[in-house]
Amino acid sequence: MEKVEKDIVEITFHGRGGQTSVTGSQLLAECAYEEGFKDTIAIPIIGAERRGAPILAFTKISKDKPIRTYDSVKDPDYMLIFDISLLDIPRVLATIKEGVIIIADSVAPLDKSKFPDNVKVFIVDATGICIKRSFMHSSGPILNIPMLGAFGKVSGYFGLEVMEKVLKKNFGEAKLEKNMNVAKDAYESVKEG
Amino acid sequence: MTKVELTDFVQNKETQIIKGNVAAANAAKSARVQVISAYPITPQTTVVEKLSEFVDGGYMPGTQYIKMESEHSVMAATVGASMAGTRTFTATCGQGLFYMYEMIHWAAGVRLPIVTAIVSRGTAPPWNIWADFSDVISCRDTGWMSSFCATHQEIYDEILMSYKVCEDYDVLLPKFVAYGGFILSHTSKPVIIEDQDKVDGYLPALPDEKGWPHIWVDPERPLMHGNLIMPSGFYTEFRMKLHIALLEAKEKIKNAAKEFEKVFGRSYGNGLIQEYNMDDADVAMLAYGDLALQMEEAVDQIRKEGYKVGMVKLRHFRPFPTEEIIKLGKKVKVLGVIDRAIAFGSQTGGPVSGEVKTALHETEGTAKVFPMMNGIGGREVSLEQQKNQLKLLVKFNETGELPKDMIYGTYWDGLLEVK
Repeated sequence: MEKVEKDIVEITFHGRGGQTSVTGSQLLAECAYEEGFKDTIAIPIIGAERRGAPILAFTKISKDKPIRTYDSVKDPDYMLIFDISLLDIPRVLATIKEGVIIIADSVAPLDKSKFPDNVKVFIVDATGICIKRSFMHSSGPILNIPMLGAFGKVSGYFGLEVMEKVLKKNFGEAKLEKNMNVAKDAYESVKEG
Repeated sequence: MTKVELTDFVQNKETQIIKGNVAAANAAKSARVQVISAYPITPQTTVVEKLSEFVDGGYMPGTQYIKMESEHSVMAATVGASMAGTRTFTATCGQGLFYMYEMIHWAAGVRLPIVTAIVSRGTAPPWNIWADFSDVISCRDTGWMSSFCATHQEIYDEILMSYKVCEDYDVLLPKFVAYGGFILSHTSKPVIIEDQDKVDGYLPALPDEKGWPHIWVDPERPLMHGNLIMPSGFYTEFRMKLHIALLEAKEKIKNAAKEFEKVFGRSYGNGLIQEYNMDDADVAMLAYGDLALQMEEAVDQIRKEGYKVGMVKLRHFRPFPTEEIIKLGKKVKVLGVIDRAIAFGSQTGGPVSGEVKTALHETEGTAKVFPMMNGIGGREVSLEQQKNQLKLLVKFNETGELPKDMIYGTYWDGLLEVK
């Protein structure tokens, strides 16, 4: 749908504590590596996290070149927004640069008036999918798996087969079907918005 | 208690996307350590957490895992276990390391081959848990070896190499393996976990019931260890031998790196330092820890602008590679040293910068040393900043001009405005 072709692709994760975005950044790195990307790094920004507080994480993935930086992503190619209320925070809004591709957990199209030109937005009802599939943990829906499914579809970097391998390795055979159901729902329903 | 089923456990060679702390835990597992004594402290906690999963799940048969009530007791238990003739491992950082400090001296003084991962963090106050090498560097004069890792793979590899060096009968010394908190400990990268057979072949055999050659803990033959020596006794000579052993470990470190490359195919320079783009370099930066990897990228980008810059990664702080630094001083005109730790009250830059100046001071026609400081308490150092640091070296070489805002002879990069 919107594939970025460059040496090192950078993705930012904006979520709230408990929405599983940090694990999401790690899983994205694993999916890319499984798909054949040569190098990846998942970088969580660690502060005083707690449930509900804004969370930031990055993933850098590279087809051929080694990734030799540990610094934060300032000019992302993709942004995964786990909670659209985060877009009201000025420092989050400030990282939305021209040409960035946003994938947001939302039922309705986003208000793009605050964004620079040429920003592409995709939406997926990740929360709705998790509720429908009872894919929850103690503090709410486990959003990272559907968000990752949506990212796989939008970026075209990896498909559901790769996700299946990675999810099986991380969470085991017993939980695989539940994991794959939400991944698949998101993969199939993500759309421009 | 239910056994933890680990989906990420590997026995044969496999590449995994893992955090630096998990790489450290895997290295301890691959080295078949027999006793782990542990106390949690951020950002080290996940090292000992992962190891407790390995032990509890039965993935490290024969390994004793001891939960202690403090870091002081952790090192005391590790010293005891090592004296009894076992391969031991622990991990800590920051204030935890300082709490251990008394026992740190015991480990070196009794000449025990203990390997300890240090997930380096800032020293309080103010409270800080982010990357800063002031913790491990403050243990400079304890008789321990110490090294820095720049990559996730290097954490795994360096811990294996460390056992090889520490347990050499000519060395028998403990070693810190340090890496930046969060920057390496909590980020994930592909890491090759090696075949158990290959690791077994590389490392010395585990000690038998007689333990290490110089220590024999046997209830049938009680002995006193570490008791009082009068000034007229051999105290001076004991300490001198510790000093000499630490210096002579350099050759063993070089050999361990050489053999590691032969067996596993990954090179770490000569073990003490690792050069990058140094063949035709006029100026060079000496860097250590994670910033050394990022500096490689900065060097490549600055070279594209036509400047002949190079980088040398300092792998070992103790023993200090004096001969290598002298050679380096002859090779380049300007040698930048970028520290991520403060040497309070010193006017020769940070701790490594001071060492470099000392190493070079008797060599004629040697490089001018340019001390720099950054990343204190985990302050982010961007690639752009590092490129600018290299440009400052180039400018100093071309014009002899230093930045105007040097602080007691050191350039502090990335400072906030202080009112």
